[in-house]
Amino acid sequence: MRKTPLQKILLHLANIVVIAFILLPLSAVVIGSLLAEKNLAGDTRSIIPGDITFDNFRVIISRGEQRGQVFEQATYLPDNVKKIYHALGNSVVISLSVTFLTLIFASLSAYTIVKLQLRWAAWLLSVNIFARFVPIIVLMIPLYVVFRQLGLLNSMWGVIIALTGFLLPYGILILVPYFASIPKELDESARIDGCTRFTAFLRITLPLSTPALASYGAIVFIIAWNDLLIPLILNNRAEFMTLPVVIASLVGDVFVVFNLMMAICLIALTPSVLLVMLLRKFVVEGLTAGGVKG
Amino acid sequence: MSATETNGRGGQTRAPVHRFGRELPPKMLGFVMNLPTLLTLTLVLAYPIYYAGYLSLHKVTLIQLRSGNFPFIGFGNYERVLTDPLFLLSLGNTLIFTAFTVVVEVVAAVMIAILINQQDIWTSRVTRFLILLPYAVPPIANGLIWSFMYNGKLGFLNRLLYSVGAIDRPIDWTGDADTALFAVAVPYIWRTLPFAVLLVHAALQGINKELFEAASVDGAGPWRRFRHITLPLIMPVIVVLLVLRTSFAVAVFDEILAITQGGPGDATWVASWYSYRKGFAPPFDIGMGAASAFILALMVAFFALLYIKLLYRRVD
Repeated sequence: MRKTPLQKILLHLANIVVIAFILLPLSAVVIGSLLAEKNLAGDTRSIIPGDITFDNFRVIISRGEQRGQVFEQATYLPDNVKKIYHALGNSVVISLSVTFLTLIFASLSAYTIVKLQLRWAAWLLSVNIFARFVPIIVLMIPLYVVFRQLGLLNSMWGVIIALTGFLLPYGILILVPYFASIPKELDESARIDGCTRFTAFLRITLPLSTPALASYGAIVFIIAWNDLLIPLILNNRAEFMTLPVVIASLVGDVFVVFNLMMAICLIALTPSVLLVMLLRKFVVEGLTAGGVKG
Repeated sequence: MSATETNGRGGQTRAPVHRFGRELPPKMLGFVMNLPTLLTLTLVLAYPIYYAGYLSLHKVTLIQLRSGNFPFIGFGNYERVLTDPLFLLSLGNTLIFTAFTVVVEVVAAVMIAILINQQDIWTSRVTRFLILLPYAVPPIANGLIWSFMYNGKLGFLNRLLYSVGAIDRPIDWTGDADTALFAVAVPYIWRTLPFAVLLVHAALQGINKELFEAASVDGAGPWRRFRHITLPLIMPVIVVLLVLRTSFAVAVFDEILAITQGGPGDATWVASWYSYRKGFAPPFDIGMGAASAFILALMVAFFALLYIKLLYRRVD
């Protein structure tokens, strides 16, 4: 199956097209975040109009205190941009809590489904396959009314609980096949040595499942970090905003300029992109396991 | 985690430490271990699904929400939703959007998966490394980035095309009602394609290479090898992918919010946008929002059942 030179050239070309498509929006956000508004509006034809500037980041990082040249004359800066640290902190707290909680809950459930062989546990698995499909938007309205009655609106806990519930089924689906692949004998010998089922779970199953836990943890963190709808609908006070909510609040604000928006987008996407690239192998495994084996 | 579990107690399996006292019977243990999951799923999924049905059969607007008294109106909300031209338009747009993105994604995913599977092409390794990038980008940021790219006055796409001399007048990419839906579909495809590619790629890697070599010796060209070996073997994954992507694409929201907000006019109203606007924008008709969301949920449930059926057939 040796390839002819022509075939090789065509394959290289195809790769270049795909790579260009992947990098196109990323180059737009990087370039856009380094431009000044007057240059963007003044020269609408060149890719990099005017000089590169870090003023967009400076104004965000200093909460609007240091305006730099780009924002010298700007009289309007959205309040939400000034609360960027708050949003960043909320995003971190929510994403980490959701990751932590879903890892615990999902591994507990997956263990009972795989090892305890209870009739209703099998039923729970099919419920989870089904639950994985429920789009967040479908449940947003009832969730809003229910959480309103429970007093969970405008709190970090509301968002954490809701996201945990939405991401649990996915985790159970990733962990069940992995737990099932751990030989039963390991569990049994631990029990002969005096472990209870629960300590066997803690000392044998969990430590042996670190790759699956890392896969699932990384995916959950990214989905929680990126999620817009749940914090958008459950919280309306600025103190509980996450980064995606801040970004959404800039949409349709005619006074917000693209260079500032691109800088905020870049700040929001950098952590999740770095995480994905660092844990690439685990994310790929988690995505394919949760997608196919179900 | 494993370090703290194994160290400090002198060995992993020897020490019979019954920290949790007497062992619970399996049924009891199973129940206790599932308690957190059951509680969370009840609160976030089961009860809201039931409650969505309840709300959709009652008159609920801001007034009722404040008083806490929801009068029963039967299928009134469904009647209003199903006779609302805007909802029917949104439903139609959702179907067009879904059909377009799913077909493009599945075809592109198969092509790119085969492309990154070429071990002897070094650029394929670069693509394989980069392919996951879009998956990590927050959908709302993705939408905003593309709205910068699409902008008719100072957008990035027009700048690129000017630079290579492809256009001499700016194009307003999302301004045309006939093509706006497709303009929103491209960013959605960009973000969700990695998942599809990886799924197909995983299936490709499971194919025995000797099959290709044997076919090659028998004189089969690349197209016939694809048609008679690759395609039949990855067909199950393609079917799964079709169902998965369809059920997710009918719920597209973030990109619509960021790029067009349903516009121009009502050209990019989709079902999820309709529910959101009905329930969370004036006049805050929660009953109607719930009814339209329930119709969307039924569509997704249909695809989910299809998925489970296909999966069971595959396991047999």
